[in-house]
Amino acid sequence: MASKISTGLVGLAVEANPRQKLNILYNSILSVVSKIPATASYRKYTEEFANQQLKKLDTIKDDVQLEIDLGPGQFEEVIYNAKAELRLARKMISWKPWEGLVVQPPPGQWDWP
Amino acid sequence: MASLFRSGLRLARNFGTKATVLGPHSSITRYSVPLCAKYSTDVSETSSGIIQPTEQIPAVRVSPEIVRQKLVEYGNFVSECLPKFVQQVQITHTNELELLVDPEYIVQIISFLKDNVLSQFTNLSDITVVDVPTRPCRFELVYNLLSLTYNQRIRVKSYTDELTAIDSIVEIHEGANWYEREIWDMFGVFFKNHPDLRRILTDYGFDGHPFRKDFPLSGYYEVRYDDETERIVREPLEMAQEFRKFDLTSPWEAFPKYRKPAELPPPPAETEDKK
Repeated sequence: MASKISTGLVGLAVEANPRQKLNILYNSILSVVSKIPATASYRKYTEEFANQQLKKLDTIKDDVQLEIDLGPGQFEEVIYNAKAELRLARKMISWKPWEGLVVQPPPGQWDWP
Repeated sequence: MASLFRSGLRLARNFGTKATVLGPHSSITRYSVPLCAKYSTDVSETSSGIIQPTEQIPAVRVSPEIVRQKLVEYGNFVSECLPKFVQQVQITHTNELELLVDPEYIVQIISFLKDNVLSQFTNLSDITVVDVPTRPCRFELVYNLLSLTYNQRIRVKSYTDELTAIDSIVEIHEGANWYEREIWDMFGVFFKNHPDLRRILTDYGFDGHPFRKDFPLSGYYEVRYDDETERIVREPLEMAQEFRKFDLTSPWEAFPKYRKPAELPPPPAETEDKK
């Protein structure tokens, strides 16, 4: 997408080929998330999201339309968010949040007033 | 400049509106999409009655019912994804979502809220503590987060007592630095892995944690300039009039809906003579 000179955001440089980057990012999110058990909701929602985005990348050929459809913000922001999600997915494997609640709050902790 | 300001105001006031036009593509306008559990960033959908503004249709504030419904969906999403961390999810009557969290996992949940694509709570608004001395874990930690992309706020609450340390979130949100220092200074809640945890508001040699409920209003010491010694001296407090505590409670019951049912003694067992 050579038409953009600047993103208008400090610190975010214009991406030369966002489609390729996004493809790689979403596919790596899918591969990372496949390591967590299939019953986990996080996996389900993240896979749904990544597949949806990949489908948009494949079907929408027009760059301007793709930038609108892919998510809130410009390509560079979408790439940033995808990188953040990838980092999170890697951490989720070690945290294992899909297991049930371990610690109950002390009795009366959340009563109000 | 004025038009940018006005459109910025509209963004702040409304939810799901046309944001300021950014970037060189004037045809692309950024929409802040309302928070929802479905990963549908498809802007063309008019989901659940939210009409996207155009040049002909002005931006309209989303009704509170729809806002509440979206928040409930999002709350369910978070509690489904992170059942190990989230103990409870609640929503106030003013449509504010609160996540009640296990204190061991604060770093994890704040990380999730920041990095997850659907959440994007990248702005830390505030960290505070509420001191409720009657509870065993008297300090209720409150983290207020804001999502700029989705124009949504969330509150993460946790708990601790005087001796248990909490993990610092400075690695995730730089802005937490001074907030955690303030909490340490004012309440005495220690933060592990904080780069520089020292007093921030109290005087250099100050002893005690002023915002605790058992700390008196006027403190224990007073400070004055002494002419003889020509320096500031710190002396135990001397008040001209003794402290008066007024009982300002209203004669009427404050929270009738939160009334705890009185425990009545069990009814006397029926004797056989009653026939």
